[in-house]
Amino acid sequence: DLKVVIMGAASVGKTTIIHRYIEKRFQETISTIGASFSLKQWGPYNIALWDTAGEERFSGLSSFYCRGAGAAILAYDLTSDDSFHALRARFKGLLEAAEDDCLVVVVGTKLDMVTEENRAVPPQDAKALARELNTQQLTELPYFETSSLSGHNVDRLFEYIFQHCLPVNESGQAIAEPKNRKRSGTVDL
Amino acid sequence: MSIKAFELVPAIERFQLMSERALTKIVCIESCGKNIYIGTDDCFVVHYLMEEQTNQQTGKMTFTSQKIGHKYLGVKKPVLELKSASALNRLMILCDSTLSMMNMMDLEPVVGGAKIRAVTSFCVNAQPLNNSPFSVEICVALKRKSLQVYLITEDRIQLMKDISTSSPPISMALTGEHLCFATSDLYSIINIQTSQTQELFTFDESLKPTVTNISRGEFLLSAPSALGMFAMANGMSQRPPLRWSDNLLSVAYYHPYVLALNDEFVTIHSVLDQQQKQSLPFKGGCHLGHFDGRLFVASGRDVYALVPVPVQKQLQNLLSLQRVHEALDLARSALKTGALPTAAFQRIQLQVGFIEFAAQNFEEARQLFLSASLDVRELISLYPNMLPPTCPFTRQIPPLHDMADIVQVAQKDHSKICIFQEFLLEYLKEIDASSKNIPHKQEVHSALLKLYAELNPAALPAFIQSDRLCHSPDCIEHLKKHGCHHAIALLHCVHGDNTHALKIWTQIVDGELQDDSFPGFNFIVDFITKLKNETVVWENIDWLLEQDESMAVQVLISNQSSKSADKFHVDGLLERLSGYPIAMKSYLEFLVLEKELPVERFHTHLSVLYLDDVLQLMNSPTPNAAQIESARKKLQHLLQMSNLYRVQLILGKVKQTELYTECAILYAKLEEHDKALRLLVHKVKDYKTAEMYCLVNSSADDLALRGRLFHLLLSLYLDSNHERHESLVGPAIDLLNRNRHYFNTAKVLEMIPDNWSVGLLSHFLTSSIRQHLHQSRTVHLHRMLSRTHHLQLKSDNIRLDSAYITLKDDVLCSVCGRDFTDPSFARYPNGVIAHISCITSKHVCPVTGKLFGTAPTSSPSNQHSPSGDSR
Ligand SMILES: Nc1nc2c(ncn2[C@@H]2O[C@H](COP(=O)(O)OP(=O)(O)OP(=O)(O)O)[C@@H](O)[C@H]2O)c(=O)[nH]1
Ligand SMILES: [Mg+2]
Repeated sequence: DLKVVIMGAASVGKTTIIHRYIEKRFQETISTIGASFSLKQWGPYNIALWDTAGEERFSGLSSFYCRGAGAAILAYDLTSDDSFHALRARFKGLLEAAEDDCLVVVVGTKLDMVTEENRAVPPQDAKALARELNTQQLTELPYFETSSLSGHNVDRLFEYIFQHCLPVNESGQAIAEPKNRKRSGTVDL
Repeated sequence: MSIKAFELVPAIERFQLMSERALTKIVCIESCGKNIYIGTDDCFVVHYLMEEQTNQQTGKMTFTSQKIGHKYLGVKKPVLELKSASALNRLMILCDSTLSMMNMMDLEPVVGGAKIRAVTSFCVNAQPLNNSPFSVEICVALKRKSLQVYLITEDRIQLMKDISTSSPPISMALTGEHLCFATSDLYSIINIQTSQTQELFTFDESLKPTVTNISRGEFLLSAPSALGMFAMANGMSQRPPLRWSDNLLSVAYYHPYVLALNDEFVTIHSVLDQQQKQSLPFKGGCHLGHFDGRLFVASGRDVYALVPVPVQKQLQNLLSLQRVHEALDLARSALKTGALPTAAFQRIQLQVGFIEFAAQNFEEARQLFLSASLDVRELISLYPNMLPPTCPFTRQIPPLHDMADIVQVAQKDHSKICIFQEFLLEYLKEIDASSKNIPHKQEVHSALLKLYAELNPAALPAFIQSDRLCHSPDCIEHLKKHGCHHAIALLHCVHGDNTHALKIWTQIVDGELQDDSFPGFNFIVDFITKLKNETVVWENIDWLLEQDESMAVQVLISNQSSKSADKFHVDGLLERLSGYPIAMKSYLEFLVLEKELPVERFHTHLSVLYLDDVLQLMNSPTPNAAQIESARKKLQHLLQMSNLYRVQLILGKVKQTELYTECAILYAKLEEHDKALRLLVHKVKDYKTAEMYCLVNSSADDLALRGRLFHLLLSLYLDSNHERHESLVGPAIDLLNRNRHYFNTAKVLEMIPDNWSVGLLSHFLTSSIRQHLHQSRTVHLHRMLSRTHHLQLKSDNIRLDSAYITLKDDVLCSVCGRDFTDPSFARYPNGVIAHISCITSKHVCPVTGKLFGTAPTSSPSNQHSPSGDSR
């Protein structure tokens, strides 16, 4: 089983992208308070998706929710320079609480709003960050540009993460011993 | 999102200590069994006894309390915390930074009891590590940066663990080995056995930290922005945070609810979905606690109990508000804790199921119905006229839902009703497929039948024929209403009422009933054919004949049993067919050609019919050569093949026509070969046929007859009286050449006109001579071989006869074992000797059963072995 946490500055679209992936549609959201949580079935595994709040006042809590994460999504708004810098400034440090071999995926959001003029972050900067945050060997650079409005790259992003951490074959059976097999965030109701 | 989960019930009202004037205020409370202890701001501990009563009618709970005693601690400081240890009969008191103990009953200080000083707060281990019931584990927070764990027995306080912290601890909870505590800016969890520490998260000083134990190893912590964070002993969180109010004073947990007190409200949150469920206005609250299964909340002057609303009632409330997910979550959790029995849980599932059903969330409804094993009749009964009227079912009481039927739910909207029906159909199909012995099979099957009739009549035949229980009058009525007459007929025949079924089908074919799903006339034919029931055939044969004569005959033919072949029966049948020429002909064909019944009448009748056919074709204004040819072939074949018809009768008719070939066949039957061949040669002029005639009308065994016929034919060819005899020379030669072995060469030579050249006959003559020579040589060879054989046999016989056998006294009969008294006896070639009277066969050895030659002339004693090579 796997814990995936998504972090990033306020209003970059974290809640929206998770909602897009789970519900397969785009929906207006309200700013997240504290954190929220979704469960996703992946072959034989349960995946806990933790959505954190981006507002500065919740930073301390985010590191708490980061604990034990096998994968982390660092999200920034492709049209906002600040949101990208916040990843280095505020969120990089929080990853300490995650698993040692935590997969860190850098995700630029709101691709549908990006034009030639308003793109705030050159892709190579984001890619450099992605390269810098991952120590393990990866086949594909963990960097995605997504749009929750159109759904572009959203499924690919999550499937990339799950497949990397918990490989399954086409019929959904586990292939090999998963890389991150720490128990995490299963909810006992 | 509100729901009534708890009720506030006064427990101790207008708390007064001394007099009205004394402004004593409650600071903390503790309860244990019937005892309630109150700690006041003016250093008193007051002891009450409390009785709870439940009103039988309303189910409401009330409390009456009685003050037992009080104790002044004498330091004029507020009593901050009270905790009881009932097994030790001790009350632990935190007052003036000192933790001390007193007797629970008389409130007297424990003599010589130790005290712990510089304490800011303390808590009791909810799941003590030490198993002894006569000890209590507590953890105290000290002013100097440390926490201490003590084991307390009746008269001793024993330090077990000293933990230093980075700054003074403020709040903590201990469960098992997990101690969760807060300092002024950080929550941590420490394992008191291994001292392993885990920092949880930091906060700023404006927050008043609280730590509440939820279950073993799980804590609830107050966090910035009015959040309640869940934390597990491993430092992680299993649930998203709660959102509660600011200025939190006190928190308690009562599964599955978290109760939070601030200065104005008690708010109630579910840990299942982290939502706030209820909010009770409560002014001036100071302490809220969960004591041994009971919840009390105190304000400065009053103590109230928070009485949980029974789960069932909460669930019904939720259901009446259609909050199905919450209801299911709550029910599931109550089932787990045992607060809700399985049956009640299933009832909730069903209620939710019906709510989902009404909302057309059919997938959810389906799963719930299946998982709670719904009595299908509950569901079927929602559909008008779907349950058989004889079914004694009445809906559950109290009802699972408030729907009258789906017509009401669908507001008479036909397309909606259809959607509901589709659901029922799918659901029942699934139930039906799930096992062979489903409960209420009859109801399920008849409902399925009715649904198919309305939604998918095409599926009815397969359904009916797979042996379902749906043969009730009300089902048939329903089918009738929907025009499914074919289905009704199928139902009848599945239940053995073929007559009824056929009646309906014939009515459909006749157009009296309308049903497009009926496959058509051929279906009836197939049906009757497969049925193999004489009576049914007889009942319907007239109708069948009216519809299609040849099909009708096929039915008759396929129903031929040995019985029906009897003559009487066949005659009756033929009589019935008399009005139907096609049927008659086909049936006769069957009798004559296929069954080969040796009855003259049939053969004659059929011949006449064939002949009529031919004549009719020939006399038609536009004769069709091919048709005539094939009709004649049939006639000829019959005339040739059969020997039973009345030749004279047919001949009489044929003679008047030009059917020479047929005529020839008839003459042949009368053995008037001369006439026949004359016709063939002179009228038909078909020499091949003439030749064939000779072969066909004589058997290969009767070479004499065959020879005669050939000679006859030859003589016809050679008849010089005939005006065309010149043209017959060729056929004559051909005949001779092809069939020379049937001719007697000498006779032929006599018949041949003298003027023929030898050249014409040379082929015939040479091969005749060759054949005769060959014959003579073969005969010679035969004779010589036979002679050799004869000699051989003779020699064998002499050899056998000249041998002798001596019969001595000690030789006994091999069969009866007795002496031989007669001079005659039997001896077999294998040496067995027996009395003549003892043997049964000369050819079978009576001892070994071996079979010797069976030639009638040979006796057992002179059997000879199979003759050797005679050459
Ligand atoms: N056009 C567009 N809008 C988006 C996209 N993703 C998010 N938004 C909008 O951005 C706003 C913020 O989205 P949220 O998902 O609430 O952002 P968040 O990161 O969860 O914010 P916090 O919870 O405050 O940390 C919303 O109004 C979304 O509708 C996107 O891909 N395209
Ligand atoms: Mg959010």
